[in-house]
Amino acid sequence: MDQKRSKLTLSLVAIVGVLTIGPVLMLVLGSFSKGLTAFGSFTLEKYIAAYTDPALLEVLVNTVVFVLGSALTATGLALFLAYLNTRTDIPFKFLFRIISILPMMIPHLLFAVSWALLLNPSNGMLNLALMNVFGLEQAPFNIYTLWGMILVEGLLDLPICYLIIAPAMAQFDVALEESSRVFGANTWRTLLRVTLPVLRPAILAAFVLGLVRGLASFATPSVLGMPGRVNVLATYLYQMIATGFSPDYGAAAAVGMSVLVTSISLIVVYRALTAEGEKYVTIAGRGYRPTMIELKGAKYPMFTVVALLSFILIVLPVTVLFYTSLVPYSMVPSARAFSLMSWKHWIEVLEDPISLLSLRNSIFLGVVGATLGVVLSIFVAYAIVKVKTRTSGILESLSFLSFSFPGIVIGVGFMWFFVQTPLYATIWALLIGYIATYLPYGIRPLASAFVQVHAHLEESSLVCGASPLTTMRRIIAPLLVPGIVSAWILMASMFVRELTLSVVLSRPGTEVLAVQILRFADDGLWGKLSALGIIMIFISTTLVLLATLIGGKLRAVEA
Amino acid sequence: MEIRIQGVSKRYFSGGKTIIALDNVTLTIPANQIFTLLGPSGCGKTTLLRCIVGLEAPDTGEIRIGDEVVFSKDRNISVPTEKRGLGMVFQTYAIWPHMNVFDNVGYPLQIRNVAKDVIRERVAKTLSFVHLEGMEQRPATKLSGGQQQRVALARALVAEPKVILFDEPLSNLDAKLREETRKDLKTFLGELKITAVYVTHDRIEALALSDTIAIMRDGKIIEVGAPKKIYFDSEHRFVADFIGRANLIQTRVRGTEGGHTIVDCGLGTIACEQRDLPVGSEATLCIRPEFIRLARGEAGGKNVVNGRVESLVFIGEAYEAEIRVGNELLLAKIEPDAQIEEGAAVTFALDPAHCLLLAI
Repeated sequence: MDQKRSKLTLSLVAIVGVLTIGPVLMLVLGSFSKGLTAFGSFTLEKYIAAYTDPALLEVLVNTVVFVLGSALTATGLALFLAYLNTRTDIPFKFLFRIISILPMMIPHLLFAVSWALLLNPSNGMLNLALMNVFGLEQAPFNIYTLWGMILVEGLLDLPICYLIIAPAMAQFDVALEESSRVFGANTWRTLLRVTLPVLRPAILAAFVLGLVRGLASFATPSVLGMPGRVNVLATYLYQMIATGFSPDYGAAAAVGMSVLVTSISLIVVYRALTAEGEKYVTIAGRGYRPTMIELKGAKYPMFTVVALLSFILIVLPVTVLFYTSLVPYSMVPSARAFSLMSWKHWIEVLEDPISLLSLRNSIFLGVVGATLGVVLSIFVAYAIVKVKTRTSGILESLSFLSFSFPGIVIGVGFMWFFVQTPLYATIWALLIGYIATYLPYGIRPLASAFVQVHAHLEESSLVCGASPLTTMRRIIAPLLVPGIVSAWILMASMFVRELTLSVVLSRPGTEVLAVQILRFADDGLWGKLSALGIIMIFISTTLVLLATLIGGKLRAVEA
Repeated sequence: MEIRIQGVSKRYFSGGKTIIALDNVTLTIPANQIFTLLGPSGCGKTTLLRCIVGLEAPDTGEIRIGDEVVFSKDRNISVPTEKRGLGMVFQTYAIWPHMNVFDNVGYPLQIRNVAKDVIRERVAKTLSFVHLEGMEQRPATKLSGGQQQRVALARALVAEPKVILFDEPLSNLDAKLREETRKDLKTFLGELKITAVYVTHDRIEALALSDTIAIMRDGKIIEVGAPKKIYFDSEHRFVADFIGRANLIQTRVRGTEGGHTIVDCGLGTIACEQRDLPVGSEATLCIRPEFIRLARGEAGGKNVVNGRVESLVFIGEAYEAEIRVGNELLLAKIEPDAQIEEGAAVTFALDPAHCLLLAI
């Protein structure tokens, strides 16, 4: 048994190693090479050229401001929302749950596009409306700036920060606060002196993850930054490889190395912080319930803020996109606009062969990719949680590594890799890239599911006379169903809307939805973009609903 | 069925250190008895149980259940757990949360492909045996701790195994429920012809339930015997100390006289239960607190000792008193209605039958 297990762990280390270390290694080798075709002869040329480019300095400054700004925005908002939800009597708490699962439904790319549609300086709808109302000469807002990017990216990273902070706050032992109150501190002082310091690891972890997300973000900088020529590292890299006549993968790899190293260091810090956070968890026995703070007069003003945020995060983007998909060109909603509405953009998109191809490809990648990814995740999570040897420790670190991968950079690494293989420019290249980059999203829900399956549950089935296979079928698998379903949903919805890796790896014939949408954005075809965008939102939402339904059915059958 | 364990050892490697969980254990567990493995945590009792059921493989030795060799290092035999046909109750109960009571209890029969109506009948019979009649359709997780415990017991019994194993089954219950369940368990097991191996660190549980107790320490069996023998007449200082509260006093053997072994110690000259100890050797005298009985007025007879009450704590069912005799401080249990106060001079007599001598 032990031998079989260690063999399993070893082969998993090999597979995950190839998927994660592979592209990094190729990135390193690539950065020392002359070009994609001249792989193997080593030179420092690319590093010198890339790091002496005077344009780089401005890009770096922009990147730092953008990443710090968006992480701060996201963490601050998350903290506010988490506190309101877990610790106060604010009404309509279901809104918080919607906010937390939002990233599965509305892709970052479309969220950024909807803000461009509202607040771009030439014909943004909100800008036009404000100009009409107040008789302004100029558009009052310009989303194509660093501040616009920070706002949008901050809102986008809000849910993930919320998911880290809210559970920590929910687990918080109120006795710590109560004792502070007993010793004479008021609510506000207790918050500052006890609550926030105890939650510091979780808050910092959320912030660091926000930094990683910001650094890897491509959707926001490409939709909102590039039109205003505000470049950050992600878009700077993208321009090196995707625009102009001679894409320079060597220089891109050289710059990408710094991004990757920064990102990996941040993830190391993040892991240390979450480990620290577990030390801080002090409680919690059965039947424990935190005391709720009464908001009293502040109740409805606070709720208005939350409702506004939910509106901005959920309703606004979908409405704007749907509206734009129906009107012939960008215009403020009016009687005339409604009279001009038609399905023209929808029909054009559904007759466009490349859009249809991208739709097919994305669905294929979503369904097949998520299924393969979940199968791999099941084995990896099993090895990490249940085998617990030194090798499985390596496996855990390896699988966590890809958590730090900025899509563009790792895409460049994969590019160097796939060019050497017949997989280049096939859909399988994208599939492998997706699974490698998003593996942690499959492993995490499954690992926590495995943790819940106590060893005694398994052993007791063996004692009852069931073979290991029967035990797997009757006991382990049914208990894992919720974990499997949530891992599958997470992966599928991420694959369907994947952008950053795809812009690097996608070639004619392997277009995917997000890449096609970005192309529409570049060409200013907002109507078609919106139509295709709504289709994309529809698919990922359907996936979520379908998978939840199947999960519920499976559990019902077993029970 | 009898269980024979021969020369079983088991080591763990953890954090660069070797932990010897079982150190050459040889033990025979008699058929149709409640046999308890008792010891402090980390003594290897659970490991031994897991070796019997086959969830762990020993490094050396042989284990027989009845006539079947289920494990033998030398003959390279290791029957997998699911083929050993045993029943077991886990410390966490291991009730499967995705099944209802019926499926949890019927599982061992379903695995054996027993006909559906037979399963229904036997599950109902077993559930009524553990006083859970009619609970079949309840989701297992909606039961109370005590009920889950009985579901686990029903599941272990339903296939009528010849051997049932218990791994600290009562330790997750609160004190009152633990006492009730302990009584129920004794009744249930008494009605069955079954060999029960019971692991616990709770001495009262062990004394109350068992036909035979084996005391373990550091991976070794220290002593095996009936509860009374272990409590009153153990051979080891560790056992005497572990199985109940005891005053342990250093003595020197003086000789034998009138069927008693006479020793000198801080209490004076004391006549003890007879032991074969060489004159002049050192021995430990073990006196249980409940056998220090205060005399009213003048006491006569053997082993009369005078002392002074140094502290007195009322604990409801008794007083716990510390009595100073010379350099020795003795713990005594005194009836709760005794007229006594701190600092009082007291006299007590020790029955030689309850003065137990232990080598070293």
